[in-house]
Amino acid sequence: MNSKHRVVSIILRAALLACAWTAAAAQTGPADAAAAPAAPPAATDAAPAAAAPDDFKTLDQEVQGLKKDVIDLNKDLFVLEEELLFPANTQVALYVSMDVGTFFALDSVTIRIDNKEVKNYLYTAREADALLKGGVQQIYLGNLKVGKHELVAFFTGKGPVERAYKRGATIVFDKGVGAKYLELKITDRLAKHQPEFTIKDWE
Amino acid sequence: MRQLLLAGSLILAAASFAAAPTMVGKDAPDFVLKARDGRNLRMSEFRGQVVLVNFWARWAGDSRQEMPALDRINTTYNRAGLVVLGISVDEDLSRAQEFADAMKVSYPIMFDTGSGIGRDYLLEKMPMTILVDRSGVVRYSNIGFKRGDERAYLDHIRELLRE
Repeated sequence: MNSKHRVVSIILRAALLACAWTAAAAQTGPADAAAAPAAPPAATDAAPAAAAPDDFKTLDQEVQGLKKDVIDLNKDLFVLEEELLFPANTQVALYVSMDVGTFFALDSVTIRIDNKEVKNYLYTAREADALLKGGVQQIYLGNLKVGKHELVAFFTGKGPVERAYKRGATIVFDKGVGAKYLELKITDRLAKHQPEFTIKDWE
Repeated sequence: MRQLLLAGSLILAAASFAAAPTMVGKDAPDFVLKARDGRNLRMSEFRGQVVLVNFWARWAGDSRQEMPALDRINTTYNRAGLVVLGISVDEDLSRAQEFADAMKVSYPIMFDTGSGIGRDYLLEKMPMTILVDRSGVVRYSNIGFKRGDERAYLDHIRELLRE
């Protein structure tokens, strides 16, 4: 389904949802209004009293259904927004991951694409800890035209024996028609007792 | 004529006061800055605590009076769940650091040199102090500092800590 069809589908669903919501509200209104004058006879007639909980149950189910539709619609709107802002043919996503991290305590990452700074991210202790526990962070999402591009990432932090540490990693990548995913990896180089910074191109 | 001028200036003053934007009632914009002790602090990570954010500048005379007062508040209410953050918006980083060292406050001092946090917080005059509740909403804002403001801060802090 292309973007146009998706937009039409979302608008139609939103309209239907609004109609359903109005109908449910209208149903609740008269039901409440009718309940008041019907109260005294209900004491003598057991049948309407038994029917009332069923009505509420149905109404509750309808409300639950509507809530689910709203959540689904929100999800579709989010996906649509992503598609419109970052179309797959120009999309570039960068991720940061950290393995072990004995020799490096991450403080910040600066990313330059084609000699232009696109991101500078400072890591709090909690965020660095989350990366050490295996978390992968999407640090940048942007658009790039098809062709060759240069990405330079600078990592700053504390290296072995608590020394201030700043290292860079570079990659020249070819942006094709599809989306491009790159991973900035921080790993330990056990043989040299030093951290290692690499950029992996996910084809 | 004089009365007319006076009335006009009063109306203008009232209009400018009414038009002054405020952050009260809005979500506190998130930011991350490096503190003087080297830690990176993110505003959203203090969710669940009451946060007092003080924007200060070396050239703002009121900051010199306000910072020791905030330090006393921090010492007393830190254990009760209050976080005090000082943010310098001075463009001259080295002089701002010197000033911060001279003030000897115990709460974290951070330096914003051009990341636009002041703009996000609608900072117009210095110093400015805001109080953020446990759910991250700005509940109180004060521009400048004069005697008695410390008491107002305490009243609001106690109220927010009780929530």
